[in-house]
Amino acid sequence: MSYSAVAMQLRAAQPAELTPPVRASYMLNCMGCHLADGSGAAGKVPSVRDSLPILSRSTAGRRYLVQVPGAALSPLSDLELAQVLSWMVRNLSTQPVSPAFTDFTAAEVAGYRRSPLVSVSETRARLLAAASDSH
Amino acid sequence: MGSPIDAIVERMARGLARRVSRRSFLGNIGALLFSTGMPLLPVARGASPADPGDPQTCEYWRHCAIDGFLCACCGGSTHSCPPGTEPSAITWVGTCHNPADGHDYIVSYNDCCGKSQCGRCLCNRNEDDKPLYIPFKSNDYNWCAGSKVGIAYHCSTARIVGVAK
Repeated sequence: MSYSAVAMQLRAAQPAELTPPVRASYMLNCMGCHLADGSGAAGKVPSVRDSLPILSRSTAGRRYLVQVPGAALSPLSDLELAQVLSWMVRNLSTQPVSPAFTDFTAAEVAGYRRSPLVSVSETRARLLAAASDSH
Repeated sequence: MGSPIDAIVERMARGLARRVSRRSFLGNIGALLFSTGMPLLPVARGASPADPGDPQTCEYWRHCAIDGFLCACCGGSTHSCPPGTEPSAITWVGTCHNPADGHDYIVSYNDCCGKSQCGRCLCNRNEDDKPLYIPFKSNDYNWCAGSKVGIAYHCSTARIVGVAK
């Protein structure tokens, strides 16, 4: 919900309309840097809008999305992180999500999350380059 | 010679001109605008039952996790930057409890950047803020580093972006 909609509810003393929990988790744990639409800040925070549909197609890409420090180190539980990642792929991607896309599960997140990713930018660039080579 | 209607209208107009000053028309229009039109303008009108408290005080409920100068004291408001500054897009996001309706609202503390520190209404409540070694829950950053106008920090806003519970 936009700022103005919530603020108008407050001014009009209308009952507060709750933000869907998964979107609220994104707002509280990701939006501060990735922004409401996932576009980030050029040169500082990479946009997820183009990369999510690409990375979520491959096993290596899905592992990266879980291991990237902003995801792996967030205070979200494995289930909550799985839900937020799936929500991001479905709601922030610039392209339609592939019908073959399956939601992240808590078990999948748990399997990848404990292994730290050190070379973050290099891994991201390599995965995106590999994906573009294969198309 | 004019018609009787012209004569009547002329008499009424001259009578009105003798009784009423020319400025009274402007005065009446002004009174009408100020009594009815002004409250519709988008200005801060203080506390309302659903949004209690004074946005120019640190105790205002939306400021529960803020760390900086209140833009409401610096020529801006809780949701807008003062003239001459720009909001930083990247920001600290948390929740604050609205005592009026019992809900926890999601608040985005966007910093306003591009001018030196405002210096008024310093507010450093930091509720639920964590040390820098938990970077995702620490607000001790200069968020203006993410703005297009440079790292000069002026003040902080407290925009409501959602309702958590």
